[in-house]
Amino acid sequence: MNKVPAGGLGKAASWRRERSHFILLMLIPAIVLLTGLILVPFLVGFGLSFTDYILSLPPARFAGFDNYLTLLSTPEFWDSLRVTLIFTVSSVALQTAIGLGLAILLHEETKAVPALRAIYLLPMAVTPIAAVFTFRMMFNPGLGVFNHILVSLGLPPQDWLGAGNMALFSLVLVDTWQHTPFILLIIAGGLASLPADPFEAAKIDGATPWQTFRLVTMPLLKPFLAIALLFRSIDAFKTFDIIYVLTSGGPGTSTTTLNMYAYKQAIEFVSLGYGSSIAIVMLIIITIVTQLFLRRSRLLTVAES
Amino acid sequence: MAKKKKALSLGVVLRRVILWGFAAWCLFPIYWLVNMSLKQPVDAVARPPTFIFMPTLQNYIEVLQDPRVIGYMMNSLIIALSATFFGLLIGAPAAYVLARHRFRGDSKIAFWILATRFTPPIAMLIPFFVIFYNLGLLGTHAGLIVAHIGINLAMIVWILRGFFQDLPRDLEEAAFIDGAGRFTSFRKVILPLALPGIAAVGILTFLSSWNEFLFSMVLGGNDVMTVPVGIYAYIGFEQIEWGKLSAAATLMLAPVLIFILLFQRQLVRGLTLGAVK
Repeated sequence: MNKVPAGGLGKAASWRRERSHFILLMLIPAIVLLTGLILVPFLVGFGLSFTDYILSLPPARFAGFDNYLTLLSTPEFWDSLRVTLIFTVSSVALQTAIGLGLAILLHEETKAVPALRAIYLLPMAVTPIAAVFTFRMMFNPGLGVFNHILVSLGLPPQDWLGAGNMALFSLVLVDTWQHTPFILLIIAGGLASLPADPFEAAKIDGATPWQTFRLVTMPLLKPFLAIALLFRSIDAFKTFDIIYVLTSGGPGTSTTTLNMYAYKQAIEFVSLGYGSSIAIVMLIIITIVTQLFLRRSRLLTVAES
Repeated sequence: MAKKKKALSLGVVLRRVILWGFAAWCLFPIYWLVNMSLKQPVDAVARPPTFIFMPTLQNYIEVLQDPRVIGYMMNSLIIALSATFFGLLIGAPAAYVLARHRFRGDSKIAFWILATRFTPPIAMLIPFFVIFYNLGLLGTHAGLIVAHIGINLAMIVWILRGFFQDLPRDLEEAAFIDGAGRFTSFRKVILPLALPGIAAVGILTFLSSWNEFLFSMVLGGNDVMTVPVGIYAYIGFEQIEWGKLSAAATLMLAPVLIFILLFQRQLVRGLTLGAVK
């Protein structure tokens, strides 16, 4: 809206002044709040990570890079990083494969699409604690419905949450239940918004459905896939509710992700300084991954359109 | 990629089986939760678990008469409604300005808003805990409301901005030419037009606060327990309480289910962060 009203420079200047007053007044409350609730806490956390602050054990002292050095030399850190990567990569890969396939099917479907979409929306909208609690009942070795189904199919019952690798798999399963719809809906939305021309051209050129999919659909879908992957990877990386309620990081440390490790150190052991350094390392990892992604996929321009 | 009629039938059947099979998988845990909530204690711990049984509302009656549960519900409502109200009040003007005006630093603001979505909650939770501890805000409603605004404000601004961008500019410009000030045209022209979008974001914020667990648990402590925290506190007693806990959890889902039925389209857009319009 850059039209300058007629009436000369004086009026133009006052118009500009009025405009910037407006922008400022509208933005100030949000900026103050975002500063107070996000920037200040971030700086406090960053500062804490250089102290040996433990709640109710005053005074906190400046500890330089001690926390970070301790962190990098602790096997628990590398172990939780490994668990986090396994959890994140397998969850996101599984969800992307299922979500992409279903989105393509849903795009071709003609009947009851709104009903299907409403149902697909449920796992990502319902209260996570309620859903995770339900999974905990269903995973119960003796009384749970999952083992009941397995046994009636003639399969051996599983100790879903009791054994290390199985527990990690179960967490991936619950995460996949909860978040596949996110990828599915983004890609379905993407498919619906694709231009028709390239598909008609492919048809005229006699492309097979597979060729059309690989050479026309996929390249056009890429930005949507990129958004879905980036958001999902970062959210999987920070998963808390599912892990905390189902395994609390156990058995042993077999499902202790970086986030669980940070939570245990900072909140359960109130080592707020050390916990902060883990959180900062997580933030650094997320920043690096996001930057790589943004550079490769021009994500922001898509998100803004 | 439509094929010919004859070849379709098998493909269509297969497609519908897969799509509805996935729908069943999405619904199953919710079905099972409701199923458990209608069971008597004997049926809840039956081996093997039963699908068919004499349903009872006993669990709901007990839960709704439990003053603790009523307390959790009240806490959740107060916190979610306040966070939504203040979040929209502060977020909507900012979103409008970011949608309509180009000015120095606007892309930076948008980027930072998105960046807060990426920050691990624990990185915010620790400083919140320390700050609240020192200000005496731990275990207070005000503290949790403030925290929930902090968690959601960036999302509110981001999604509302998308809604404002979709509104035609003509009406504001017309109001402008008629001599209305910028504030007036925002209040009288834009806000009414954006109401569906604002309602959708309001619902999303409400749900996000209603569903939130980590901050509520750590910052609310034992003094201000929301429903998710309350449910979690009783999971320890599992088997004996399964029926009652399931009833409480089902009640928790009620507003979520109502909103999904009423506002499906807007929620899809919001839950996918504006990527799907």
